[in-house]
Amino acid sequence: MKKTGEEILLQEAREKVSQCDRCGACLPVCPLFGVREVEAASARGKNALVRALTDGGLEPTADLLARVDFCLLCRACVETCPNKVGTDAAMIDVRQYLRDRMGCWSAKEAALAGLLKSRGLVKLTAAMLSLLRRFGLNDLLPRGLVPDEQTREHFLTAFAGPAALGQRVPSSAMATVAATARVAYFKGCGMRMLFPAASAETFRILQAATPVLRKDNPCCGLPHLAHGRRSAFLALARQNIALYENADVVVSDCASCSGTLKHISSYFAGDPLWQERAAAFSRKVLDLTEYLVNIGYRPRRQVDAPVTYHDPCHLARGQGITQPPRDLLEATGRFIEMKDAATCCGGAGAFHLEYPVISSRILEKKRANIERTGAAVVVTACPGCLIQLVKAAQASGGKFRAMHISQII
Amino acid sequence: MNPPLTAEIREKIRRLVGEENVLAGDVDRFVYSYDASFMPLLPAHKPDLVVRPRTVEEVAALMAIAYEYAIPVTPRGAASGRTGGSVPLQGGISLALDGMTRILELDERNMTVTAEAGVRTFDLYNHCASRGLFYPPDPASWKFSTIGGNVAENAGGMRAVKYGVTTDYVMGLEVVLADGTVLQTGGKAVKNVTGYDLKSLFTGSEGTLGVITKALLKLLPMPKRRNTIQIMFRSLDEGCTTIHRMLQAGLVPAAAEIMDDVCLKAVARHCQVDLVPASEACIIIEIDGESDAALDTQARGIEAVAKECGALEFRLASSPQEADALWALRRGLSSAVAALAPNRLGEDISVPRDAFPEVVRRIRSISEKFQLPIAVYGHAGDGNLHPSVLCDLSNPEEAKRVHQAVDEIFAAALAVGGTLSGEHGIGITKQPYLSQALGAAGVKTLQAIKQALDPKGILNPGKIW
Repeated sequence: MKKTGEEILLQEAREKVSQCDRCGACLPVCPLFGVREVEAASARGKNALVRALTDGGLEPTADLLARVDFCLLCRACVETCPNKVGTDAAMIDVRQYLRDRMGCWSAKEAALAGLLKSRGLVKLTAAMLSLLRRFGLNDLLPRGLVPDEQTREHFLTAFAGPAALGQRVPSSAMATVAATARVAYFKGCGMRMLFPAASAETFRILQAATPVLRKDNPCCGLPHLAHGRRSAFLALARQNIALYENADVVVSDCASCSGTLKHISSYFAGDPLWQERAAAFSRKVLDLTEYLVNIGYRPRRQVDAPVTYHDPCHLARGQGITQPPRDLLEATGRFIEMKDAATCCGGAGAFHLEYPVISSRILEKKRANIERTGAAVVVTACPGCLIQLVKAAQASGGKFRAMHISQII
Repeated sequence: MNPPLTAEIREKIRRLVGEENVLAGDVDRFVYSYDASFMPLLPAHKPDLVVRPRTVEEVAALMAIAYEYAIPVTPRGAASGRTGGSVPLQGGISLALDGMTRILELDERNMTVTAEAGVRTFDLYNHCASRGLFYPPDPASWKFSTIGGNVAENAGGMRAVKYGVTTDYVMGLEVVLADGTVLQTGGKAVKNVTGYDLKSLFTGSEGTLGVITKALLKLLPMPKRRNTIQIMFRSLDEGCTTIHRMLQAGLVPAAAEIMDDVCLKAVARHCQVDLVPASEACIIIEIDGESDAALDTQARGIEAVAKECGALEFRLASSPQEADALWALRRGLSSAVAALAPNRLGEDISVPRDAFPEVVRRIRSISEKFQLPIAVYGHAGDGNLHPSVLCDLSNPEEAKRVHQAVDEIFAAALAVGGTLSGEHGIGITKQPYLSQALGAAGVKTLQAIKQALDPKGILNPGKIW
């Protein structure tokens, strides 16, 4: 009997969790388990749920869907697991399976997914938000939906150091980007809508090194993939693959976008039309910090401010990139490492909107760690995290500000 | 058949611990049905209710309710046990103690620490270490298992060869008895023979005699220096011999772990390990002492013994990071081995130290006889080893062979003067072999104790026998 798409998805999830030995190593590292200590919140609990769902111990119910939605996809468990069980990937599969099966999306999810699927709507929203911000009306919306944005000007006014150039960043072991490479910018929805000033800085930095191809790109598709809209994700992926075919390097200043784009090829494996093109596309994608270190970027000026760095999950664990942003910051100013820098901030895409209380409890820990460094600025490389860090900065009562790495270097 | 948990009883419990600390939905009940043993996940032994108390008073009041209505109660820490100890076999209440996480006192003058049951062992270790004190027991699960669970199972660990196991550090306990009475036993006096040694009775009782809510633990001064050595051998036998000769020569390591070729391959799947060709066994040794010179003397002594025994390679960790990486590899080994086959039956036999090579040889021939791969690793320094039968139990013919092989492994352990379990406990998975190991009089004595302390049989029913 031929298996349906739903069944295949479930089998894939089952395969991913099959090596979970239920040892419990993931319990202390799961940020959600850290604030909601019930087994179902942990990776071990989620792996067991997948097994029970496939092997006939649990029925697909709304409660079960709520449990698989309750995951940051931060991969802290994967990193700690002796068998590297991909709980995050299994959660994505099961979210898709349950939504296909039960056809239930929350109104919020549907609205967000619909918005992000359309380039026009994303631009329109960006324009609206910028107006709201200009008139100081962003506070009228729920917290975090339209964060305050610091600009490089704000930053320089406060912390500008000697106008001398920063140190040269030691280049990493990765293959050097050819001087003749055609470099394109991938402008993610988060950067476009919420942090346009940071996005403009990224473009300026890139443009200073080489003429940058500017593309009118759609969403990377991660919000769709993570919330059971795989076909929308695949459609967006095809658009992006085609759009960047004349570029040699695709740089993104959003960790979630670059992480997703790098992994696109795995979703087209076995597809005769797209497999090759997807693989070629994924190979071209670089995170901004990875790219800058690669080309030996010099920060524009040194700054006289203690700076700390928060690792986005999708950069540290999603792409294994932890050193390049630190190298850039060390070349710029006084870099101070914070405790648990790579622990999720609780943002996790739309998670902070769906579970504001849990998310803010995770963020509280992050804020305490930032404050303990005495840093004046916390820097990150993902707009999703930046939304959270801006909230943390507000909660700190002005002890620190939150900025995108482009605005510092 | 258990009496049903009526709406009235549920309401009493909710009022006692608060709505948010009682879980009753199907999904939550399911995820409190398992532990880290090889018991199949399904059919699930779901509790009727999961209760997460925060204080000993709540535990006592809850036990009083359970006693009144004869409701089974299964205490649970992190559910990281390997023998089904925290599986609520007969339903009732899963009593999750992982919310009781206070370290109550670090007494530097008496060198003791007092902690609630739900404190993670690693957190306790770090708390003491920050004041220069050392809590030695370090089960492989120490980063996530709880001190209450460690005491209830009398957990061992890598450092047992030099420092002993959990019971060697238990000076006192707070235990809630079956009827809700709170018992305080033991204390800070080093010598104490006033009455039966109850703290030792409850240590390793697997939640069948009472609910451990607090532990008073002995500490040592933290060794000033530590290092790690990795030695590769052509055979497991050479590794065993090395460890023996070391101990006889007075070179007592803080830990001495051995693993065979199957284990090495399992580890190599996820970690970067440089394997010397032809190496079929590896030992990892931790040495500790007061000074670099003391460590150096030990390391050179061990190297000389290892070379005599035919070591292929001797490597002293050059940095704390390298040492940590070696131990992380060992701690993750159980799970890495489990991932080699659809099923893994991991055992925990313990034999007199000098019988270690002999029992390993017997396990090898059992492996050949039943045509089943058996990974062998363990604490060679103290005679506790974990033969893991790699198999597919969905194949009935193979399942039969597996059970015969496991029977023979236990028989081999007993034949050389050993026992069923060194550090995991009996729980559910080793029950069939209990009377063989303890004899009729032994089992009868255990049952008499159980009957006296838990006349209604509500504490972790269905375990040990």
